[in-house]
Amino acid sequence: MKLKQPLLSETMMLAIFLIPLVAVLLVTDIIPLGFSTYLATSSWQLIDRGASATWVGIENFRKVIADPVFRDSFRVSIEFALGSTLVELLLGLVVAYMVVGESWTMRAARTIMIVPMFIPGVVVGTIWRMMLNVNSGIVNYALGLIGIPPQTWFSAANTAMPSIILVDVWYSTSFVIVLLVAGISTLPPDPVRAAMVDGASRWQVFRYIMLPMLTPVLSVAALFRFIGSFFVLDHVYTTTYGGPGFATNAMSFHLYRQGLQFFNLSYTAAASWLMIGFALLVILVLSWLRRVLERHAGP
Amino acid sequence: METVYRRAQMEELIFSMVRAATIVLFAVFTLIPLIWLFINSIKQPIEYLATPPVILPSRPTSQNYVDLFKDPNSEAPLALKNSLIVTVVATVFSVLIGSLAAYAFTHLKWRLAPLLAGLVLLLGFYPKITAVIPYFVIMNNIGLRDTLLAIIIAFVGLNLPRTVWLMMTFFNDIPKELEQSAMLDGCGPWSRFVKIIVPLAAPGLAVAAIMSALLCWIEFMIASSLAVVKATTLPIAVSVYLTDKGMHWGPMSALGVVTVVPVIIFCLFVQRYLVRGLTLGALKG
Repeated sequence: MKLKQPLLSETMMLAIFLIPLVAVLLVTDIIPLGFSTYLATSSWQLIDRGASATWVGIENFRKVIADPVFRDSFRVSIEFALGSTLVELLLGLVVAYMVVGESWTMRAARTIMIVPMFIPGVVVGTIWRMMLNVNSGIVNYALGLIGIPPQTWFSAANTAMPSIILVDVWYSTSFVIVLLVAGISTLPPDPVRAAMVDGASRWQVFRYIMLPMLTPVLSVAALFRFIGSFFVLDHVYTTTYGGPGFATNAMSFHLYRQGLQFFNLSYTAAASWLMIGFALLVILVLSWLRRVLERHAGP
Repeated sequence: METVYRRAQMEELIFSMVRAATIVLFAVFTLIPLIWLFINSIKQPIEYLATPPVILPSRPTSQNYVDLFKDPNSEAPLALKNSLIVTVVATVFSVLIGSLAAYAFTHLKWRLAPLLAGLVLLLGFYPKITAVIPYFVIMNNIGLRDTLLAIIIAFVGLNLPRTVWLMMTFFNDIPKELEQSAMLDGCGPWSRFVKIIVPLAAPGLAVAAIMSALLCWIEFMIASSLAVVKATTLPIAVSVYLTDKGMHWGPMSALGVVTVVPVIIFCLFVQRYLVRGLTLGALKG
């Protein structure tokens, strides 16, 4: 048997496999992020393509933090993320518990419930904007049929936030359900069976046996949903466009507008780095929280 | 003993009813907006803004769909074409590049390999708005602003971290012995990759492809930052209806249906793979 001497060693070939990956990520992530750091620490202007840029250190960060609109958008994003995550976790847990099982009815139900999260966010927003229209939307019409007066939904500052939370609940609860169904389905059956033999009710089994074992999945779902909601853009863009006024001016949307419509590049760059810092903080806090909860859970 | 048994029976009965009610309510909640979208797309023009809203169109019409594709001013045909091109091309490249990289990461005996892999994974978790604006400036400066190429490259970059992660988990499940006999026969990494690994990891590749395709089809933020006229995609075309064209609910709903129907069909057929892709990372984490 004649052994062919390879042209390139094994390691070299494998290294070559990595070249396309590195090339693409350089262009789509590394260089833009580096440029973003430069933008965040300089006085770059789009009009002269940066010809007059000078280094200004943390000046842009100071300006961003001092901007009341930015601070308000932070508040909006937090409220939205907290509200939507809580509702989605609760609702998702309840529905997921109901919908586990291999019977065709359960699988059909799950297939239906998984659809919303794959619909483009802008279309989701468009649909709900039509449905929650004060005069010609079917929601107010349906409410009227059972005697409830029409609601202002997106058109009033105080109801706009609950309205976009409602949209996100429709949109993202399906993600939580997928995760939790998988989590519940892979729980070890013995503790559950043992408890039922001992005469525990369904609620007791759920509350004291299943729930503690579900904390890992729940915390992953909570993290994904909180971060995801905090960065929301698509459906806000097509429902409220940040309004009325600035009532739903979520941070991503605010930066999107500042950067792509007003070309406030340094502001946007500095602000998005603050956003990343905050996201890291959230991840750290939630991981710590999860470890604390797991210590109290136990088998 | 008897009472415990009867209480359990009672409880199961109540639970069954509660379960049925919950499922029906939530399924209806999920379906109604989609059904409403479809109904709106087949209404007569005067019926859109009627108060009270028209639930069953008197004379369903396909005029909105016709307008979408026959009207010379409509961006729908271009948007559809662009979305298809971008989705297919970006998916092919992200699966190709991602699986090659994942193969390298799982086979390299280099000490820094896990670190590099971890870095790639991390790149999938930061808010893309940070990179969107600089990427736009870069593309603008090299003249690629309103092109599909810029969008495709961005989408490949968007999908790579998750694809690499997915494929690494699948590749790690393939026993090394299968490759060792091929290695003894003088098979290089490329032929091992193509002849052994790819056929075995085909389900994983399917999951990666499906998730990438879906993400490309529905992505809005990056695409809208780059596309102005020529490179418009379906999500952009839908968003334009609300900002530029006011309340033309009919054509807007029709466009929405065009965007949503592939998604629904996809979900029905590949649901298994989607669920697998979503839960793979979450459960192991």
